[in-house]
Amino acid sequence: MPLFAVTITWDSVSQLLVTGVINGTAYGLLGVGFALILGVSGRFHFAYSFTYALAGYGAFWAYARVGLPFGLAAVFGVAVCVVAGVTIERVGYRTLAHQAGGSALLAIFVASLGIGIAGENLLRLTFSSANQQLDGPSGFRTVLHWGPTSFRWVDVWQVLSAVVLVIALTALLRYTVLGRSIKATRGNPELARIIGINPDTIYLICFAVGSLLAGVAAFWFGLKYSVAADMGFKPVIYAFVVGFLAGTARAPARIFIVGVLLSVVEQLSSIFLEIRWTQLVVFVILVIYLGSLSINWSRVFAMIRNPAALWGRARVDDDEEEEEELWKSGTSTPVSL
Amino acid sequence: MEVWYFYTGIALIYIIFALSLNLLLGYAGQVSAAHAAFGAVGGFLTGYLLQARQWNIVFALALGTAVAFIIGALVALPALKLSVEFLILLTLAMSSVIIGFFTTFDQLGGINGLTSLPKSNLFGWKWQNPSDWMLPLLVAVVVVFAICWRIGESPYGRVLKGIREDDQATRAQGKNVFRFKVMVFAITSAMAGFGGGLLAAFFQLSTPGLFGFSISLSIIAMVIFGGMANLLGSVLGAGILSFLDPILSRAIGIRADQAGFVRLIAYGLLLVALVKLRPQGLIPEGYSVVGRLRGKRPDTSRIEMARAEGWRPDVSTSIATLAEAEHEYLEHGSAVVVGAERAFADKHDQASRAGLWEDADVLVRVRGLSKRFGGIVAAEDLSMTLRRGTITALVGPNGAGKTTVFNLLTGFIKPDRGSVKLNGVQLVGRTPDSVARLGMVRTFQDVRLFQRLDCLQNVQMAVPAQPGERLVPLFFQPRRVSAAEREATAKAMRWLEFVGMQDFAKVPAGALSFGQSKLLSLARVLASDAQVLLLDEPASGIDTHWIDTMLGLIESLREQRRSICIVEHNLHVVGRLADHTYFMELGRITAEGTIDELTSSPRLAEVYFGAA
Repeated sequence: MPLFAVTITWDSVSQLLVTGVINGTAYGLLGVGFALILGVSGRFHFAYSFTYALAGYGAFWAYARVGLPFGLAAVFGVAVCVVAGVTIERVGYRTLAHQAGGSALLAIFVASLGIGIAGENLLRLTFSSANQQLDGPSGFRTVLHWGPTSFRWVDVWQVLSAVVLVIALTALLRYTVLGRSIKATRGNPELARIIGINPDTIYLICFAVGSLLAGVAAFWFGLKYSVAADMGFKPVIYAFVVGFLAGTARAPARIFIVGVLLSVVEQLSSIFLEIRWTQLVVFVILVIYLGSLSINWSRVFAMIRNPAALWGRARVDDDEEEEEELWKSGTSTPVSL
Repeated sequence: MEVWYFYTGIALIYIIFALSLNLLLGYAGQVSAAHAAFGAVGGFLTGYLLQARQWNIVFALALGTAVAFIIGALVALPALKLSVEFLILLTLAMSSVIIGFFTTFDQLGGINGLTSLPKSNLFGWKWQNPSDWMLPLLVAVVVVFAICWRIGESPYGRVLKGIREDDQATRAQGKNVFRFKVMVFAITSAMAGFGGGLLAAFFQLSTPGLFGFSISLSIIAMVIFGGMANLLGSVLGAGILSFLDPILSRAIGIRADQAGFVRLIAYGLLLVALVKLRPQGLIPEGYSVVGRLRGKRPDTSRIEMARAEGWRPDVSTSIATLAEAEHEYLEHGSAVVVGAERAFADKHDQASRAGLWEDADVLVRVRGLSKRFGGIVAAEDLSMTLRRGTITALVGPNGAGKTTVFNLLTGFIKPDRGSVKLNGVQLVGRTPDSVARLGMVRTFQDVRLFQRLDCLQNVQMAVPAQPGERLVPLFFQPRRVSAAEREATAKAMRWLEFVGMQDFAKVPAGALSFGQSKLLSLARVLASDAQVLLLDEPASGIDTHWIDTMLGLIESLREQRRSICIVEHNLHVVGRLADHTYFMELGRITAEGTIDELTSSPRLAEVYFGAA
């Protein structure tokens, strides 16, 4: 296995850290969006990757084909993404959830796969399977230097917009009636319904917000690299990982930080591993985490404390006399009342 | 013509993938988004062995299959306790990890994969063209179908379906769910690896794209299209969908480079439409094409009867059945020498019942059982005994922890301290299935039947030590398995008769009313041959005019020399059934005695029985 593909210097490490944080804001943003959708509505929204790509294509179409101003094209792209997300929930998932009842999770996941794969290939069919270049104003590409590290204006925009959105969502959840309704629905949709909240409406709002976050992340991604039909696959898988690692019912800021940390770990792993291995690091972290979920930790700790339990079924509370009286009649005395 | 053989070859290989995924997804209910990735294990390994090592196809396939088996088992280990969302995510991640892993090896062609593999031959019989492949592929499909059929449509498959319906209830029947899940993951992965190896040898290449996520998705589409838990459906589903590509590009004339996109769009829309319009797929579960061809129609009159108002269990034959069942129980269920026959001349005489209780053998002894959830005391220093041939009741106000006691006794919750001994065997620290196999089984307050299995299968599931639930006898001792299965069927039928549900043998449990479900769940615990039965609210939610029937049945269990423990709110029920009663408050047993002794205490009357 290749080791030390990069020579370790402070400069290279700090550049990796900066890149990690920049990429991490995108992972975090998507993770927050995915967690909001899954945590509140219980929909395993795989078509998230399709709506993500739609934001890129929407902006590309409006800017390069129609000729809208860049800022307007960006808004259009994100809006397409939001509309698509809300439509999928309203037309697709909601009716399925009402129909399938208890087994809705699997039904919705399968439908979501179907929407995702159909949408992705529809994009290929309409825009050709080649990547599309979304060239914004050249100012975004200006390289900035900060100490030994360098990045571009578009990275600054991405980080700022992500932080602003996460703060805004946090404020929404914490200080508004709508936020409290969302949290109530997340806790118990039936109970929320009783106190006059319509869970279906809340789910729609979660899809709108989640798609908005994805749309923003997708827009910056498209601007930095290019727009492609499958551009959403990897980021959305990462979003799933972030959402699950952090916990889908957690506060947005916490999920966001987990996303950033995951990305930093991924970047730093390139010190030790060739670049093609670093993607796997994220999945290895996930597998370890999921594996650790299935381990009964209290039992492990008990074994550490009482190693004898490893070798046999040694029990502290096994007393000898009990065996003898076992076949005699019971001796328990009635408790005085 | 050769080109159609080529497409037929692809279809046959996809049938292998679809059959094996159906065993995993349709029968066992385990969602895997990595099925094609397991195919990659077989594909890359077989390809490498064929090309670089010049192995014969048979050995290359065998090794690829074996490695896929091992990797499947390893993936299953962390997947076992995960909920569906986590399982989807884990298999998604594994799909990327496995494909990513293979593309990092230069020996395997890196990102391009292995190309121009040598043509395969079997001991001189060269498979030059797709037409030469037809026979070997057909044989492979038949073998895989036979294995899937044998596993799925047997006691083994019944347990898999039980896991799909409710894995906790399956554990409560004494099934080691862990073993079944790992095994079915490993076997289906092995079959996917086999299919992958065939695909690589057939295409003479093995590339990441051949086993990518979109392929896993296509296989899921085939299974859902064909019908879950129906193998013939998978053959049809995979067969039809595999021909979509050539039909689109050749018959309709879509450009070849776009046909792939159109096909995937069609797959996607098909999935959405199916989930919405026909979730059961082309051929629904349990639908027998062969039976239908012979003119048999599914009998729905029983299902209508089950739903009809005013149905009452017919237990007139139960007395006769009981004698038989008791005979069976004593022969197989208990090795313990039966003590002196007791006369139950006056079952309602409290004093004689108390005496009975005092004299009876202790089967279960609970000592110092404690459990805390954070600051909440669920059980504190509980000590109690359950005795042979008697009925013990556990009463107390809501939230006293009665059901928790059942969970603690049967291993669903691990106590912090204390011991539970059944015939001197320590039960604390054992898994729920192990406790059940040792002879203590429970019912659930919310019944937890296997909804999509019929009543007979629900009861059969509880029959202990079935050779058909182990793979070696299943494949190598078919006679023993079928004899045991006949026995299990007869036994399950007898217990169904015992509770008066014999007419419903073929009715899915999901179609029953709540009262009928309770009767069925009683039959299910009885078929387990367990010496100790823990019944959680056996009479609650039952129509008033059946309660008598239910109580009569439970009383008669005393004569089978079993030990019964009931949790019950209804004091009339407790008064009629219980020989001894424990009173629980806030996780503690605060009083015990006969129900008359308890009801005469003013303090308890205030706590529970209502102010006097």
